[in-house]
Amino acid sequence: MSRVVDVPEEMDHRGFEELLAELDRAFEDEPARMLLNARHVRWVSPYGLIGLLAVGRVIRDRTGHPPAIEAPDNREVRSYAEFMGFWQAATGIFDIPPADPRTHGPHDALLEITPIRSHRDVHTVVERVRERAAAILEKKLHYPKPAVIQFSVMLSEVCQNIIEHSDADGWVCAQTYDYKRRLGREVLMLAVMDVGVGFHGSLASEHARRYGESWSPATALEAALLQGESRFRDPGRGQGLQAIRRQVVKWDGELAIRSGDAQIAIVPEWDDLPPLQRGLPPFPGAQILIVMPAREQGEGT
Amino acid sequence: MNPFPPVRPSVAVASLYQTYLVTRHTGRAVRLTIERMVDERPGPSLTVIDFREVAVIDFSCADEVVARLLYDALSRSDAAAPHYFLLDGLEEEHMDPLASALARRGLAMAARTSMLRPVLLGAAEPEARRVWEALAHRGRARPSELSGCVDGNAETCRKWLARLDSRRLVRDAGDQFESLFAILGDGGLGAGEAPA
Repeated sequence: MSRVVDVPEEMDHRGFEELLAELDRAFEDEPARMLLNARHVRWVSPYGLIGLLAVGRVIRDRTGHPPAIEAPDNREVRSYAEFMGFWQAATGIFDIPPADPRTHGPHDALLEITPIRSHRDVHTVVERVRERAAAILEKKLHYPKPAVIQFSVMLSEVCQNIIEHSDADGWVCAQTYDYKRRLGREVLMLAVMDVGVGFHGSLASEHARRYGESWSPATALEAALLQGESRFRDPGRGQGLQAIRRQVVKWDGELAIRSGDAQIAIVPEWDDLPPLQRGLPPFPGAQILIVMPAREQGEGT
Repeated sequence: MNPFPPVRPSVAVASLYQTYLVTRHTGRAVRLTIERMVDERPGPSLTVIDFREVAVIDFSCADEVVARLLYDALSRSDAAAPHYFLLDGLEEEHMDPLASALARRGLAMAARTSMLRPVLLGAAEPEARRVWEALAHRGRARPSELSGCVDGNAETCRKWLARLDSRRLVRDAGDQFESLFAILGDGGLGAGEAPA
């Protein structure tokens, strides 16, 4: 039996939750094969794009068959997915013919979809974004010069989170876009995802006993983000996420980390994400969203 | 203070030759290279870690290259052959990852910016910082000469200096204490430069 799963029209971090709820219902039917219907997608964010890859990977792993995917009808969304390297990344995850290498010229993507499999990939990503980050952060979003280095550090730490803690591959992707409706400004959105063991699984051996019955994906996220806990006993571990949190707060940005059935968020005044959510549709691994708003004239560093 | 002048540390420079010091994996490799360099020198040593080529260092790499290096050196501490470390050529962007990594382990390290400004990075009490900065500026001094940094009491100052020595942040040179910059022989500070 095949099952069609509809992708929401607005495929951002909120759309991702709708998709996971739909996926949950679809899995209840125990279908042999699935098809992701993305034809009606009118807008997709970097988080939404790699969210589709993560969903595809989970379907493939659970059913044993790569799902099919219907490409969006909307020309702009199709073209965006193409220049962000979605179809290359989707090869092997979805039942699609191998994608041709990208042939289009320069564009304003900060970082196309990039698989993170080893520390070498982290180096590649950090080196690749340096020039583009300087152009985008300084010229487009009006960040001061040191922000380029600070962004590289943040990118490195968030990607290493996959290698050090997920025991699985992941993806990273970053792009600026106009966040008019919510903020009235441009933003830089950085999305990082994996479908590995998640924070709950990663921290369990070291911390679950101490938390007793209250141990859950939500407490694991709180332990990692708010208390700087890590799965290692070494006191030098666990500082990456703490550093990211400090930097995001300094920039009046947003940080949301979803893992298992929970999401924790550092929420600026301009958004209304709940700081902690429990009971979300369960999903493996960790999904991280960072939003950095454009600086307004006169804002400090 | 030590009544016998201790053996002068041998000085070596560890150039990092990397623009991007990112990931724990890279940091571990760099630390092992520096540790080999230290192990190859018998007796007390001062290793200057040169950051002039480094554009980006992340928190994980800072922990491996600097904090773990000092932590392990202090754990294997040999009173007769102490190993000192000094970070050199730092830019503003290096400071937060390095200071955070050191502080997380309760450590501190002497450093010098690319403008030759001495900086004590990591965890240190305010009194320890004042004494360290005064000594960094003078190069060498007796406790009585720096006692104004604490409560005017030379004995209190001597205790702070001895504590800084045990943390490998200054050196007990027998009849006086010396800053790690003084061991380099170039005085450590740029002309007219005052401590921060």
